Amino acid sequence: MATLANRLRLSSFSEMLNTSRQRRENFYGYLFLLPWLLGFLGLFLGPGLFSLYLSFTKYDVLSPPTWIGLDNYTKMFFDDPLFYTSLGRTFYYAGVGVPLGVIGSMFLAILLNAKLRGLAAYRTLFFMPSLVPIVASVVLWKWLLHADFGIINQWLVDLGWSDPPGWFGDRRWAIPSLIVMGLWQGLGGTRMIIFLAGLQGIPESLYEAASIDGATALHKLRHVTLPLLTPTIFFNMVLGVIGGLQVFTAAFVATEGGPGFATTFYSLHLYRHAFDYWNMGYAATLAWLFAFVIVSLTIWQLRLSRRWVFYYGS
Amino acid sequence: MAATIDRLPSTDISGDAYRRGRNRVQMGITYILLTAAALMFAFPLFWTVSSSLQTWKELRSFEPHLLPAIPQWGNYVKVFSAVPFARWMGNSFLITAITIPGVIITGSLTAYSFARFNYVGKEIWFVLMLGTMMIPTQVTLIPQYVLFFNLKLINTYVPLTIGSWLGGGAFMIFLLRQFIMSIPRDLDEAALMDGASPIRILWGVLLPLMKPALTTVAILQFLGDWNEFFGPFIYLNRVDLFTAAVGLRFFQNIPMETSDPRDHLLMAAAAVMTIPVIALFAAAQRYFIQGVVLSGLKI
Repeated sequence: MATLANRLRLSSFSEMLNTSRQRRENFYGYLFLLPWLLGFLGLFLGPGLFSLYLSFTKYDVLSPPTWIGLDNYTKMFFDDPLFYTSLGRTFYYAGVGVPLGVIGSMFLAILLNAKLRGLAAYRTLFFMPSLVPIVASVVLWKWLLHADFGIINQWLVDLGWSDPPGWFGDRRWAIPSLIVMGLWQGLGGTRMIIFLAGLQGIPESLYEAASIDGATALHKLRHVTLPLLTPTIFFNMVLGVIGGLQVFTAAFVATEGGPGFATTFYSLHLYRHAFDYWNMGYAATLAWLFAFVIVSLTIWQLRLSRRWVFYYGS
Repeated sequence: MAATIDRLPSTDISGDAYRRGRNRVQMGITYILLTAAALMFAFPLFWTVSSSLQTWKELRSFEPHLLPAIPQWGNYVKVFSAVPFARWMGNSFLITAITIPGVIITGSLTAYSFARFNYVGKEIWFVLMLGTMMIPTQVTLIPQYVLFFNLKLINTYVPLTIGSWLGGGAFMIFLLRQFIMSIPRDLDEAALMDGASPIRILWGVLLPLMKPALTTVAILQFLGDWNEFFGPFIYLNRVDLFTAAVGLRFFQNIPMETSDPRDHLLMAAAAVMTIPVIALFAAAQRYFIQGVVLSGLKI
């Protein structure tokens, strides 16, 4: 009995202590969370839900929105050919650019991770292009890849290619031009640093064990480095796809979506409806579908990752 | 690092001539590949500077000049007289001067909340915060624009800077939270025993220890704002309010008195706009890389 009473008293005491402490934690926790919470509600959740509402309306900012039900959605799927072409071009850009970028960064990191002299200088050099502001980079690449006076085409002509591509001015070459520019900017940047961090996390002992077993450098790359880098590759792929699909500035500044509609990526298509035609309702519809596509792709990658991502030690 | 280099050859138990020869070949291939890559990365940078110092006639001759015959330093002067580029750069600096304190103060507060307090609903807020990184900016863009439009805040810097005073974004908060979590809790507890309030603990104990993380966050914020095109582009339509990024595009497209090509001037402007970033990198190189380390992305 006594023990039970004791226990009861004790528990109620600790509960009291708990609640007063808990109250304190709640108070300060929320107090310090407040700035972010305001931003989250006012600049993210609120606008997000408002944009969901707008997707069922016709809205031009100046007059109040009018409810039109699913009209924007039927328009998007059945009456807007640019919806499909812009989505397709976005997938082309991200589908080619992101894997090339991730693989390229990985190989640069592997080369830099060879413990040789003078590599810090190379690392700095590789990092430099990622420091160039994107608008400056576009201005530079439009000049490098100028159809007539660009130094790259002048070299190509010297090398015997009498009819070199028109690059940004050519429908077929505009997206590849953007990819090339993106690779120049992105290969040696943060992504490469993330790979270097991943490489340094691989235990040296594994390489020593492989050497004792007589493994060549290629064997080590194939059977030690690559499997242990899969979590880093996965991480960079996920981030790369999210970023790559949202490509806007490069295409907008370089070509404004042209020539024709060759570089009218999804976000440019959305931008036109929002800020050129003031179809805010329809643009909101496009935005929500885009969010759906990106979130689904991310979840799909997470699912798929179980088949190929290898976590050492687990 | 040096220890590893010294150790490697001795652990190579079959260090015969054949093997050493092969290592030398590997080393040679590595250097060749690295140097080829370095040339490809460096050439566009070199070409920006070289083009910016040539006359447009030199640039448009069919024989490319790798270097200017006479360096045209005047091109840089022309950039500033042709367009208000100094003003635009100043505007960009002004924006970063508003946002950097914002992200440092409110980002630290949010990170402190997530790292050190146990409150009802914390996990949900944390997951929601990370989730915001996945949602494309386009979803909130239109209603945000409508909001700022109705508040008559178009052509002000409020839409471009307010976010930094409301936590500063998921990535920054996450980075600061990771850093706070790496600081031993005993330090807080000791200050608490001495009767320090939570805000004193943040100010007096944690913030001084967080300098590397705060520097990293400040640099990332600077780079982000300096680079940002879309926000300034839709929220600012008065030329005198432009940022350097929006201004450079404007300079690329506007008609001017002479119809002479302006590639050399654009290259000079691009170089000018890149200089602050390069200078910052030269001064604080390690903090550029620290963002990766701090966020715990060793994976």
